[in-house]
Amino acid sequence: MKLVLIALRNLNRQKRRTYLLGGAIAFGILIVTLINGFAGSFVINVSENFSQLLAGHLFVSAVERSDDGRERRIVGDEQPILGALEASGVPIVTVTRRSDFSGALFFQGTSVRQNIVGADWTRERFLRDRLVLVDGSFENMLRTGADGRRNGIILTRDIARRLNVEIDDRVVVRMQTVDRQQNVGEFVVAAISFDPGLFGQLSAYADLDYVNELLLVPAGSYQTIGVFIPDIQAIDESAETLYAALTERANVFPRTRGSDDPENPVAALFDSGDDEEWTGTRYRLLTLNDILSEVQQIVLLLNGAALVILLVLFLIIMVGITNTFRMIMFERVKEIGTMRALGMQRRRVLLSFLLEAGFLAIGGIVVGLALAGVVMFFVSRIFMGLDSPIFILLKNGYFTFRLLPVQVAMNSVIVTILTVLAAYVPSRKAAQMRPVDALRA
Amino acid sequence: MSIVALESVHKVYPLGRTEVKAVNGVTFSIERGDFISIAGPSGSGKSTILNLIGCIDTPTSGRVLIDGNETGGLTDREITALRHRFIGFIFQSFNLVPVLNVFENIEFPLLLGKETANRKDRAEYVDFLIEAVGLTQWRDHRPNELSGGQRQRVAIARALVTKPQVVLADEPTANLDSKTGNAIIELMKRINRDLSTTFIFSTHDPSIVDIADHVIRLHDGVITEDRRTRDAVPSGAAGK
Repeated sequence: MKLVLIALRNLNRQKRRTYLLGGAIAFGILIVTLINGFAGSFVINVSENFSQLLAGHLFVSAVERSDDGRERRIVGDEQPILGALEASGVPIVTVTRRSDFSGALFFQGTSVRQNIVGADWTRERFLRDRLVLVDGSFENMLRTGADGRRNGIILTRDIARRLNVEIDDRVVVRMQTVDRQQNVGEFVVAAISFDPGLFGQLSAYADLDYVNELLLVPAGSYQTIGVFIPDIQAIDESAETLYAALTERANVFPRTRGSDDPENPVAALFDSGDDEEWTGTRYRLLTLNDILSEVQQIVLLLNGAALVILLVLFLIIMVGITNTFRMIMFERVKEIGTMRALGMQRRRVLLSFLLEAGFLAIGGIVVGLALAGVVMFFVSRIFMGLDSPIFILLKNGYFTFRLLPVQVAMNSVIVTILTVLAAYVPSRKAAQMRPVDALRA
Repeated sequence: MSIVALESVHKVYPLGRTEVKAVNGVTFSIERGDFISIAGPSGSGKSTILNLIGCIDTPTSGRVLIDGNETGGLTDREITALRHRFIGFIFQSFNLVPVLNVFENIEFPLLLGKETANRKDRAEYVDFLIEAVGLTQWRDHRPNELSGGQRQRVAIARALVTKPQVVLADEPTANLDSKTGNAIIELMKRINRDLSTTFIFSTHDPSIVDIADHVIRLHDGVITEDRRTRDAVPSGAAGK
């Protein structure tokens, strides 16, 4: 129908006005798309970075409870876990075994609190691939001291600077065993690693056997097994099948999401099952999503904020569109009168203006999305640095963006509806005009 | 039966706190095939009468009958459909749609009706009208690329495209030079003769008034002369 043609050609009549209005719509779409894109990748990047930090996507630990009620966090028998992993068919990229404690490191009167993670440096490649050393070497971690212990430690650059230590310096550690007894040990600085931002400073790395010795965990045991799966999006699904397989083989704590306790979601993860009477070994399955459930809420908040920004921006833009269409109506009042005189019904007059607004919105959306694509392309190529304070939000130091088609579609529909709504009042006024008044104006 | 009839029509416009009587008790009738001039000085009520006949305005009192049917009481939708089906308009300032070319402007009213001919038939008919008004080589040009006379020819073709019974022309030559104005009146007369379409045009140009078969002269909203010079063209001589 000619109405479509007229609407499109009318947009072309006042190019500057069309560019301004379309530009305002495009700007709104650009901002919202960037926020959505960032929020979309935010959860994945944070998850990936945390999975590197925590060494896995799925984590199985075990608690041993004696008859007198004393509890120790030790995986003494890993067969139920390995059996469950095999039976569940969960795809595995790599498995890590870890023991860890939080202790105070001392060197020449200076102390720093650190989480010290014990890893098997002979079997595991994961940390060698992940850590970037600025001094020392991984081979230093394999050295044994006079007492036959492998007591090397890798500190981050910042921690090394705060303790004022160099390679081969000896630092003392004070910590608690799994039985909550005080214990002390000695580490030799084997290497200093590049400091990957805030979260990288939390952990120092040592040998699993020596960490176990300090914790009084039997040799060959450990505290947590971490499983990397190929698809980070499949964490919950994999956890479900693994949990089912594990419950067939062992006593397992019920699965609890961190967000179940709004007061303290992380504590809620570990509180589950405390009210029950049990002894022996009980396994606990946690996932990265359980730990990062708060991150999901941040993403929801970000997307909510994006929607609010979209609506606020568009309320402002709508005022502009309404005023512009009022102006357009006055400019074309004689045309409206002519068309009405020629036999155009009111609803068609209304439709012709709404079509114009609709095309304006579509044009703005297309340009806005294209601009957002260009901005995302260039921003995602800027290296922000591995020691950036926002490292945890980035992927290997780069911003990434992930847009869900449904989100783009929803934004586009909202913008189109709001634009058409903004044009509706002046358009309706134009349609309601008597032909004689319009022709005389 | 008259194709158009006005019975004791009054039209009063509010003007601030006072009222202006644009038409004051006018009664006349127009036969099918008439080529009628409504003449009079500015402010005599010519345009108001054309607006009332064209159903784009309503009388304050009195009756307007189109083809024997009273227009008062019709809904906006019915009035609009009546205008589309029955009346063609030619405006003093042409009033073409600036974003449409000659062909599209003429075709436009055809697309406003409920039933439209197929695209090929429509195009053939529009091209026939373009040829009839002598604008074949300007077919794809937009109004701003045409002279005043050419624009008015487009307006005439647009007014005829729905094959209306009545064509209303409000001072169709006012914005044209005398030579072009005469040519436009000649064209209208030819169409009136060939298609027996009723033409009602307003003018204050005495030379154009004389061409009409029927002259209604107004002064201050009152008819001062209602004179028939020739018989109306008999109906049935419809064109393509």
